[in-house]
Amino acid sequence: MKTLKEIYDYRQMIFSLVRKDLRGRYKGSVLGFMWTFINPLLQLVVYTVVFSLILRTDIERYYLYLFVALIPWIFFSASLTGGSASIVAQKDLVKKIYFPRQVIPIAYVTSSFVNMLLSFIVVFIVIIFSGTGINPLAVLCLPVIMIVEYMLALGTALITSAVTVYFRDLEHILGIVTMTWMYMTPIMYDKSIVPERLLPLFNLNPMTHIIGCYRDVLYYKTVPELSGLLSSFILGTVFLVAGHFLFLKLQRHFAEEL
Amino acid sequence: MTKNETVIEVKNITKKFKIYMDKGSQLKERLLFHKRNRYEEREVLKGISFQVKKGEAVGLIGHNGCGKSTTLKLLTKIMYPDSGEIIMKGRISSLIELGAGFHPDMSGRENIYTNASIFGLTKKEIDARLDEIIAFSELEEFIDNPVRTYSSGLYMRLAFSVAINVDADILLIDEILAVGDTNFQTKCFNRLRELKAKGMTIIIVTHDLATIEKFCDRSVWINDGLIVCEGRSDEVVDAYLNFMNQKKVESEPAPPANNTPATEETPPENSEVNDSGEIDYSANRFGLKYVEIRKAEMLNSENKDVRIFRTGDRLSVKIHYHVNKTIDEYVFGFGFYTLEGECLYGNNTQIDRIKINPQNTDGTVSVIIEKLPLIAGKYVLNVAVVDADGTPMDFYRNYCEFEVVSEKRNMGYFNIEHEWRI
Repeated sequence: MKTLKEIYDYRQMIFSLVRKDLRGRYKGSVLGFMWTFINPLLQLVVYTVVFSLILRTDIERYYLYLFVALIPWIFFSASLTGGSASIVAQKDLVKKIYFPRQVIPIAYVTSSFVNMLLSFIVVFIVIIFSGTGINPLAVLCLPVIMIVEYMLALGTALITSAVTVYFRDLEHILGIVTMTWMYMTPIMYDKSIVPERLLPLFNLNPMTHIIGCYRDVLYYKTVPELSGLLSSFILGTVFLVAGHFLFLKLQRHFAEEL
Repeated sequence: MTKNETVIEVKNITKKFKIYMDKGSQLKERLLFHKRNRYEEREVLKGISFQVKKGEAVGLIGHNGCGKSTTLKLLTKIMYPDSGEIIMKGRISSLIELGAGFHPDMSGRENIYTNASIFGLTKKEIDARLDEIIAFSELEEFIDNPVRTYSSGLYMRLAFSVAINVDADILLIDEILAVGDTNFQTKCFNRLRELKAKGMTIIIVTHDLATIEKFCDRSVWINDGLIVCEGRSDEVVDAYLNFMNQKKVESEPAPPANNTPATEETPPENSEVNDSGEIDYSANRFGLKYVEIRKAEMLNSENKDVRIFRTGDRLSVKIHYHVNKTIDEYVFGFGFYTLEGECLYGNNTQIDRIKINPQNTDGTVSVIIEKLPLIAGKYVLNVAVVDADGTPMDFYRNYCEFEVVSEKRNMGYFNIEHEWRI
């Protein structure tokens, strides 16, 4: 509880780190911050071309179908891989100055999260211009879905960032893990094509529900089924609590291991 | 909090570090080369306890690797002790790393926010201090320029201004007061004094003993992970200096047998008499070589040839000479110089009206200084032999450097006996 209060006291540091990261990301490039929007837009163009000309699918407006799932996934996978390296990357700070170390993964995940929110501006523009339209009631559920995903991402980042300090391979292992995880989550395909016997595995995967919810809201324009989201929420809470305590234990020797 | 309250209590802390011979933090290395993960455990702190009261300034001193910086890191909670306990009351700020998190592309103003936030200040608190920070740094005109355009001096000034304006109850400082120009340093110290007067507790780790003495009420001397002594700063600093000087004198290796300076390219066997009469006065060593200095020894009170002495100790310079061609009179001289080449004292046998009769053999001449008046510092010895007219026979500039140590901290070059009457 004391730690949480302390992290709250350091909220300005989280804010500063997020701002520094977002502003520094495209520093020096001609288009600068515009890249935050151009990047997802160009990705969308590529998917549209590939999936309407080459890899044709039966799914209607597949580009949007994929897009609304991919943006949240990118946030999650960035938190997992980038988050794991975040403390090692800030080792100069960790070795020299005291602050609650949780600030670093929190800032990293938050910065990826803000990036996702900005990408969602593009998502909404595409939804409106493609004529898909919006169901206001369903969109109201969106913040809840995002918060659950944030919890999940933060929980994992707390664990991976702390473990990576002691075991640097984890960062690279996670590269493969996220790739596998992506294909094990119905992002590029529909959950309906998953073989029956693999379904339990898919249902265990919290990202299955989260991606499903995003798609319900933005693609199918329906209020998502909350039971799946609830299980993700529970899992997110478990990750967060476990991550918090593991981090507390592991952070004691950060300065020596870095 | 009352003035006499103990705000820092360090109870018997120990800390070990693992020094890996060949550290493998990758999976492959961990599994395959299990035996490679050998490490030595080095006990940096072996049980340190001290207390600091509110409003006190305490200095931690000791030589490199004694554990003082580790102690400070434990106090800041960057690291945790293996055993023992540290109790601290109040908000802690540390001046260990200046300019943490500075982003070169951001303006000075933005970096104040970033940097101060790392010290745990909220936006509101930073807003309230912003003007003061900028004013203190004297960077008003540059504050909206990117930090990468700052000189290193300006950079440190900004960083220090942020750090010093974080209102804390306890301030921990590690070896960073050597920033900026003298004026800015003075300003920093005045600010630290103000803060201290307001009741801030300050702990300083530094090698600059003058700072410790001027600023700290108390000092703790740590050696090999243990506290040697603690108490009034001047007493602790004296004890420490004494110890260090003793160590220096003892560890001084005997000078090599041929202790001529490296720049000297005339070995003894090349003892040709220079009959041309031409002397290159600009050389490090010059002269006609009718008489030649083979060696000069600097002997301490135990008659050992050393290059380190204590103020007030006996020092004798023994010149070994070799005669190539007999002349009427030999005049031997010596001189002490600063490293910059300024003569501090010089004398010779002629001035002292000592006549050395012509001889045709080798011999030695010694000059004995019963109580060396030189104060702490590094000096250069010159030795020479000339004839009665002052024509150099063998003139040795920069024969060798030597050091004088002393626990007194007077200034200049010589000790002048004195007393104060009040």
